Amino acid sequence: MSEFLLQNLNFILPFFLLILGYSAGSIAEKRHYRSIERREQKFLALPAVTLKDVQDNEKTSGQLVIGNAVISIDYFKRALAILRNIFGGRVASYESLVDRARREAILRMKEEAAKAGAHIIVNMRIETSAIGQSANRKKQIGSVEAIAYGTALIKQA
Amino acid sequence: MIVTNVENIPGKAIVEHYGIVQGSTVRAKHIGRDFMAGLKNLVGGELKGYTELLSEAREEALRRMIEQARQMGANAVVNVRFATSSVAQGAAELFAYGTAVRVE
Amino acid sequence: MRFHPRPANGNVNVPKTHPLAEMAWLAGGLFVIIAVVYLLLTLLTGWVVTALPVEAEVWIGEKILQNDPGMPCEPLQKRLDQLVACLPQNSSLRHYPFSVRVIDSKYVNAIALPGGTIVVFSGLLKEVESENELSMILAHELGHYAHRDHLKRLGKGLIFGAASWLIFKDGSQPLLMPFAEIMEARYSQAQEERADLWGLDLLNKRYGHVGGSQAFFSRLLEKGDRGKFAHLLASHPHPGKRIENLVRAAQKKGYPMGEVQPVEDDIKAFLKRYCNIKQS
Repeated sequence: MSEFLLQNLNFILPFFLLILGYSAGSIAEKRHYRSIERREQKFLALPAVTLKDVQDNEKTSGQLVIGNAVISIDYFKRALAILRNIFGGRVASYESLVDRARREAILRMKEEAAKAGAHIIVNMRIETSAIGQSANRKKQIGSVEAIAYGTALIKQA
Repeated sequence: MIVTNVENIPGKAIVEHYGIVQGSTVRAKHIGRDFMAGLKNLVGGELKGYTELLSEAREEALRRMIEQARQMGANAVVNVRFATSSVAQGAAELFAYGTAVRVE
Repeated sequence: MRFHPRPANGNVNVPKTHPLAEMAWLAGGLFVIIAVVYLLLTLLTGWVVTALPVEAEVWIGEKILQNDPGMPCEPLQKRLDQLVACLPQNSSLRHYPFSVRVIDSKYVNAIALPGGTIVVFSGLLKEVESENELSMILAHELGHYAHRDHLKRLGKGLIFGAASWLIFKDGSQPLLMPFAEIMEARYSQAQEERADLWGLDLLNKRYGHVGGSQAFFSRLLEKGDRGKFAHLLASHPHPGKRIENLVRAAQKKGYPMGEVQPVEDDIKAFLKRYCNIKQS
């Protein structure tokens, strides 16, 4: 039996990695989503808007706040993406990835704003990019980076 | 649902705002499109297949953003911005975000 | 404007499909497509290859093997010529310039190369215990030439490699290799079994009986083979299965069993002189 495994290693190894990727990946993802939802509840009172002017007639000072997050893919997601590349369509495994990265980035930005004592973040922008794609030609995908930045308005006493 | 990319809607006043809403989707091309694009690379011209693919994805992202705004109870989304990035070999992510507001 | 915090319930940006279900669907679809393409390719190369004349194959063989491998072996060449002489006059195999070479190595194996060169490893020569066994092995290799098996494998490998390079320019081939290897292994086993049966026919013509055709595989079995499981994806069928097929074919065609002749001295002398193998 062990000889069979050794001989067909190049077939069994990816299968094993897939199982590992799927289990570890989905555990990490569930945990991350729970943390994100908990913190979003906490920061519900601190809005972030894309508007420049919220017309609240308060005397405020502004400060740039930034939050960013880099989330890595796992083996299972990569395999799904490659299969999708053949058949086309929506890459569901990636949508959760970028969603997590962006929401995490926004939360970190809000944390920074809260520390400065702001009550609102205006003119927020979000950028997403893929890291590790061109770093190594052989491997196709590495990770997704999201950055959220805006101006935090702090009430002047 | 009114969607604009300016800060306020002409002729209406913003009464409340609810925070940002975002919609995104990741789409991959399939081998057929890749093959046709490869041929087009020889002769030049518009890659209609890819144009269609990306505009469909953009519609989807907008739809999701509007859906999220509707769940919040907003009736307009202002200051909408788009972003495209490639997150994987052969797949692009379309992202739309804006501020959900109520106008009267 | 007032601010009114409103949480969004649910997540519009992540679809509800379960990733495992999606993986099963996509992987299954891919496997089906590859299986269909593979079968079509097999049929196609089968037709093309049988049309290739022997002279062209000899030319290809010369180009692939720059130098002849191993060393010439007069005793084996003699036995091979005797086997070929038993073939019908109009057999296509008569066009091959068959030559047998021996490579000094512990491997128990023999290979049929394009163009008519048969390579026998000295480990195999040491293992055979009768003339009939030796002839059976040579006849099995001739069977591969009769079916153009080596050409089929070559052609299919080339086309499959070219196709997957065209489609996946950036090296996602590794993901496909497992699929292709499974099917290649099953196909190769079928080829080996057909070569066995063809060799059996020739053995009967040469000696008038088929004694000694299974002895080699029986000894392999006794020496503690790795079990049927290991042979599921191997390129050769399980020795037990090969013996079964040979016995069944012999019964169906009415081939008698007979006395085997011990290995003649010229082989032993060759081994002693050229190969560093201790004669047990």
